[in-house]
Amino acid sequence: MAHGATSNQGSPTGAGPRATSTQQADSLIEFRDIHKAFGSKQILRGVSMAIGHKEVFFIIGTSGVGKSVTIKHLIGLLRVDSGEIHFDGRRIDDLNEKNFYPVRKRIGMVFQHATLFDSMTLRENVALPLRKHMQLGHKEALAEASVLLERVHMQHSIDAYPATLSDGMRKRAAIARTLAMKPDVVLFDEPTTGLDPVSARRIDRLIREMSDDLGVTSIVVSHDLDSIFSIADRIAFLYQGQVYKCGDRADFENTDDAIVRQFIGGHSQGPMETPGF
Amino acid sequence: MNLHRKIEALGGAFIGALKSVRELARLWRGSLAGLVERDYPKGEIARQMYVVGNKSVLFISVTMGFLGMVMVMQSGQQLNRITGDLSQLGPEFLRLFIQEFAPTITALMLATRVGAGIAAEIGTMKVTEQIDALRLSGITPTSYLIAPRFFACVVMSLVLTIFAVVFSFSAGGLTAWSVFGLNPTLFFDASRVQVYDLTLGGCKALTYGMAIPVISGYCGLEARGGSEGVGTATTSAVIGSSFAVLLIDFLLSGIGFAFFGGGAR
Amino acid sequence: MIGEGLITGIGRGTMAAWRELGGITVLTGQVLRALVPPTMDRPELLRNLYRMGNRSLPIIALTAFFVGGIMVVQAGVLVRQLNAAGLVGWGAGYAIFREVGPMLIALMFSGRVGSNNTAELATMTVTEQLDGLRALAIDPIRYLVVPRVLAMTICLICLVILGDIIALYGGALFAMLVLDLEYATLHYSLVDNIGWLDFIHGVVKAGVFGAAIAMSSCYFGVSVRGGAVCVGKAVNAAVVAAAISIVLLDFFLTYLLP
Repeated sequence: MAHGATSNQGSPTGAGPRATSTQQADSLIEFRDIHKAFGSKQILRGVSMAIGHKEVFFIIGTSGVGKSVTIKHLIGLLRVDSGEIHFDGRRIDDLNEKNFYPVRKRIGMVFQHATLFDSMTLRENVALPLRKHMQLGHKEALAEASVLLERVHMQHSIDAYPATLSDGMRKRAAIARTLAMKPDVVLFDEPTTGLDPVSARRIDRLIREMSDDLGVTSIVVSHDLDSIFSIADRIAFLYQGQVYKCGDRADFENTDDAIVRQFIGGHSQGPMETPGF
Repeated sequence: MNLHRKIEALGGAFIGALKSVRELARLWRGSLAGLVERDYPKGEIARQMYVVGNKSVLFISVTMGFLGMVMVMQSGQQLNRITGDLSQLGPEFLRLFIQEFAPTITALMLATRVGAGIAAEIGTMKVTEQIDALRLSGITPTSYLIAPRFFACVVMSLVLTIFAVVFSFSAGGLTAWSVFGLNPTLFFDASRVQVYDLTLGGCKALTYGMAIPVISGYCGLEARGGSEGVGTATTSAVIGSSFAVLLIDFLLSGIGFAFFGGGAR
Repeated sequence: MIGEGLITGIGRGTMAAWRELGGITVLTGQVLRALVPPTMDRPELLRNLYRMGNRSLPIIALTAFFVGGIMVVQAGVLVRQLNAAGLVGWGAGYAIFREVGPMLIALMFSGRVGSNNTAELATMTVTEQLDGLRALAIDPIRYLVVPRVLAMTICLICLVILGDIIALYGGALFAMLVLDLEYATLHYSLVDNIGWLDFIHGVVKAGVFGAAIAMSSCYFGVSVRGGAVCVGKAVNAAVVAAAISIVLLDFFLTYLLP
């Protein structure tokens, strides 16, 4: 019931499907009607969206709505129940684990908890993909890793172990490690969650710089409103397993949709239905 | 300079070891006191006996059954080669299993299964600060957590050892019968077993039963930091209690041999 | 009532055991496929070899020393009973080379290195580091599991060879101190009766045990789900599975090998 209501409300505000069709010609990544359930719990109920070249694209929504789940499908960490994912003109959702590796070399991911390898220093962490994929020797890889760490302003602790660093530092190092692959697309899973405001804005700036200077497409999962309204090119709002509204910053700032307004305003009262409350 | 530092490190390790031994002794006394004062939740002893004993039965029967078969095969082959007289195989097998293999291998298996379990459980409680919560409500973790496990381990170590002897002896007898065609009445002969063997085997089982929960509990209580800490605690519990078993085995066998002549007639 | 509970319990246990066995088999298949041709991370292999060897050497040496002592004490009874000093070297050597050496050292190795490995892999799994590797287009099997399996197998073979020597000399020491035997008696009793075959029998066992410990410890490490509680449980399950496989394999190898 709620399902039908959302799509009716969604379309006049220029949501999912229509936005997708206008973008189709030059989009880099396209999700078509993605469904995903964990056991009996249906998380995604037909997510469709398209992401263009060099965009900073935000996926927003309440916790547990399936934002991280959506982007994990792009690198094959999760598999869709139905629907299609296209990347650079090729369908990728039906690839097997082995054929996903070339895709993963082009799409990097920065995890929510950074997931640096505990047993290695920052420099060794960043050098690992260089050594594995860029055919660099041990020494060259370490040298290159230092350069990359400098780019994310981490030159002061290249030989520290991840456990000794703050969350923000770990995330910056994780970004450097992802950049080592020279990816076309970088996925960020809640890059600013749990960080102090200063570290959070540094990460924001880094994401923007990557897009402007290196031509990287970024897909950012977040519910940090400050990031959203400072660096997003376009935003998709996920609600009840679907893209409820998709548009640029101005669209979201000036919307009169009650549900979007409630999320952006951070009001506890409103029309939004959140499971568990 | 380097040597200096090495000596320092060695000294540090030595002091650390002494501290651990003192702490282990404290835990051991604490468990005994906890048992006397009945300072643990009701029904906990029964639950621990079930966890330590019943849940190990299958594990112990598989390992001891196969060990019995292997031992009979190996020694049967050797005896066939040298003397060809297999009549002593069964009685000697039984004597050796009662005073050596059954208690020791059972305890090694308990050290892996139960020791790791205790350390994982208590370690998790430690890193999730449940132990501190216990202390805050005026409960001593030693008597509350370790005492029931201590009791269960001591009793079950003995019970499982008896079970292991029976099981491996039967498996060995079957092997001797099917591989070497040995008459079961010749194999199943308990006349060589003396009070000495029973006492030594029993003492070993009881001592192992005390060592495993105390060492594993100590490792669990020493756990620090999230999931990594629990992993480390579990690891050191397994290796610590296994090594303790071997050391106790060596010491008790040595004492038995030195003071009672190894039960030789 | 009790019978019913017991039967359901056994049924459930059997199902779980088969499931884990299936998982280990699948992982073994993946590891074998990655080994032809051997594409794995050489630095990671060397690092693991160094770490595992380093970590287990002291405890294995001590274990072997005491095992030698225990064997001699057991043989001592025979010496007093039958006055058969000439059999001690043979008996202890035969037992140490073929059975007790590989088996006890493997059990200790599983407790030290196997459980540590499980804890490490399990921690990496629950903190999403395995997904992190996959996201970097690095196959966790080839990068993490294969080097560890190889390292553990090689390590255990070396440790058993070394442990055999230590156990024999430890045993000889105790025999001379406690039983008043001559070194020469022990020596000739051993070399006259024990051949290379007995030694190799034990070394082959060590290799198989090493691979078995590695497979179970890696499997329970990478298949863990959940948080800190599950890491401890994974270690527990891994050492139990390793102990069972050591004893089972010991039986079959004794049967199959000359």
